[in-house]
Amino acid sequence: MTEFQTFSKMKELMTAYYFEAKTTKEKPIAWITSGAPVEFLFAMDIIPIYPENYAAMCAANHQSVELMEAAEAQGFSQDICAYARTDFGADILQGGPVGGLPAPHFLLCSTNICKTVIKWYEVIARKYDVPLFIVDTPFVHDGLTDDLLEYTVAQFKDLEQFLARITGRPFDHEHLAEVLRLSQEAAAYWKKILFLARTVPTPINSLDSFIHLGPIVTLRGTQGCVDYYQALYEEVAGRAADKIPSVPGERYRVLWDNLPVWFKMRRLENFFQERKCALVVTTYANSWGGLSNYEDEEMADPYRLLAASYLNVYINYGFEERIRYLSGLMDEFSLTGFIMHSNRSCKPYSVGMYRLQEELSQRTGRPGVVIEADQNDPRVYSDAQIEARLDAFIESMEAAS
Amino acid sequence: MYDPFHEVLSDVRGTILKQARALDRPVIGVMPAYFPLELVYASGGFPVQLWGNRLAPSRADAYLQSYCCSVARSAMELELAGGADMVRGYAFTSLCDTLVNLREVYRRVVDKPTVELSIPVTQTAEARRNYLSSGLDKVNRGLQEMAGGRMTPESLAEASELYGRVRALQRRLYALRLERAGLVSNLDFYAVLKAGSFLGPEYYAKLLSDLLEKLDSMDPPEDSGPRLLLSGLVYDPLELHRILDRLGVRVVQDDFANGWRTVSKETLAVENLVEGVARYLFGPAPCCCLYNPENDRHDYLVDHARKAGADGVLFWYLKFCEPDAFDRPQLMKRLTDEGIPSSVVELELSMQNFDAIGTRLSAFCEMLEG
Repeated sequence: MTEFQTFSKMKELMTAYYFEAKTTKEKPIAWITSGAPVEFLFAMDIIPIYPENYAAMCAANHQSVELMEAAEAQGFSQDICAYARTDFGADILQGGPVGGLPAPHFLLCSTNICKTVIKWYEVIARKYDVPLFIVDTPFVHDGLTDDLLEYTVAQFKDLEQFLARITGRPFDHEHLAEVLRLSQEAAAYWKKILFLARTVPTPINSLDSFIHLGPIVTLRGTQGCVDYYQALYEEVAGRAADKIPSVPGERYRVLWDNLPVWFKMRRLENFFQERKCALVVTTYANSWGGLSNYEDEEMADPYRLLAASYLNVYINYGFEERIRYLSGLMDEFSLTGFIMHSNRSCKPYSVGMYRLQEELSQRTGRPGVVIEADQNDPRVYSDAQIEARLDAFIESMEAAS
Repeated sequence: MYDPFHEVLSDVRGTILKQARALDRPVIGVMPAYFPLELVYASGGFPVQLWGNRLAPSRADAYLQSYCCSVARSAMELELAGGADMVRGYAFTSLCDTLVNLREVYRRVVDKPTVELSIPVTQTAEARRNYLSSGLDKVNRGLQEMAGGRMTPESLAEASELYGRVRALQRRLYALRLERAGLVSNLDFYAVLKAGSFLGPEYYAKLLSDLLEKLDSMDPPEDSGPRLLLSGLVYDPLELHRILDRLGVRVVQDDFANGWRTVSKETLAVENLVEGVARYLFGPAPCCCLYNPENDRHDYLVDHARKAGADGVLFWYLKFCEPDAFDRPQLMKRLTDEGIPSSVVELELSMQNFDAIGTRLSAFCEMLEG
């Protein structure tokens, strides 16, 4: 990965976060999906724990297979999401980088990333016998409409009452306003960082942004998160100004669609470096910049703003909008091609991807490739096959240049 | 006695065309699951239920990866192969991630209109009602465009009565199977049920009534093999029921999305359509695809198996159906804790070789009889 000085700060931030979560005696713990409105939890001093983030850490540390096998031994099929299997295994063995996650007092789950999370969290809710609150954010087939916003807002209001019951305290609206401001600020920095990749050559690549995702996923709504991304922004902006490339000799500029392959980060980094191919932008990392998309005057009601940003998630949108968005990125980031990761573990991202590839190539005139892999399960990944496909793709970019 | 039903299944295409002509209604393909057929019929359409088929995907492979379930893949294969040319449009529900995306694929690949009933799974009651209400407005508009008629109080009442009657008759068949286990073979039972997917409601109700009348006076064979409850998304492939018959298994109850989970639904209340559809979607049998903590699936399945006097539960797992797969380990443990044996078989709709599954089933039956 690109060696950013701020990286050590992220490690400190994440270590402190996990340390507090593992040792707290006072604060309630909520397990939460990556696309759920965490701001409500921070407003009530509840510690959010992200099984998805933990599963990714396990895979990046090459621990996911052992954990998945523990879950499979209990009957969980290899057909289900590898994040879920990794986490079930981490829970069974109390394994992974921090020796398992602290037990939840309750669960908060939002459907904007998939419906699978409902099933996943139902399993956890039964195991720990804890309440599960679902914020249902329906798939947006045809644009954001009032009924969708109102539906989501009504659930936020209900969530506040749920949290008041759980904590035994009235919901803290004042604190929510502050948390929202911090969340928006962090999202704005994150987006600005990702947009610096429009610079040619790019000072940051997508493998970097995957690594630096931790705080925006887990800690958005805290001052520590804002401070971290402000520092990272300044460092990346400096590199952009000085034209320091993240991939020396950058020749190809590529979009990555879908989650990373967490257990192949190092190998893929070397692969792309050798070929002077920079992964410049990714739909996945962009997903956490959404809260900064709306101007205050455009969405004066903070609940509607939150509803819009939690509904407006790339994989919660119909294909017309996805194509429009992808095409925009291709131009905005001066891309030479795109890679789509057909991810066995993530159906909302992947089902229909071949059609998207076809249309995007036609619309932009630039080559794209689909690779068959998985975000967390090395057992369904073939270095030889994938690298052969990627090499052919890079050749097609060369031919098109 | 069962010939009319088997004949439907031996010529599904011909049946649909003939029925559509007789009804003088456009064919609307209804994808899994729980889209109330009443809404399609009340809009002037002839709803045909598409729960997948035995086509092995080839054209659909260009769009749907191998990790999509065979319901989705075979339904798309049928469309791309021209086998669904009589279908004017498709009705979806937001049942699972694959089907939600499948609708998006259809919208770009298939030149036919689609409509989706987006099922709200929130526990915030008023929000659920309001969202369902606006969702039904969209469905209404979509169906009107697709089927050409307008949903009116009268047309809804007629459709509700017809499909309510069909399900009531199907429930009688279920009750009869339970009371006189072994009277209807498993293959015949599910052939009767499946044939209804492709028939007009009035015609099907008549066939069912005639069958029930004949069965009413018949006695079951002497007690034989184990009594099973089957649980899964779809009761296909039917071939597997033939194997169960050969093993002497008496399926006494099921928990299939296109079986009891649908058949158990009462007549759709149409005076207040929003309330009626909400009740229809979420009850009385719970489904792995629809979050509803007020209707706990674990308690339900234990109770369902007990009431049926089932010796065991067989999970009928359609590969890559995540909602089903997530539930199963804890469900099996609960059943074990309750002293109810269970086993699982993994299936694909297009599978040809049943030897391994047959062996597994045989072992399970021996264990139950042991």
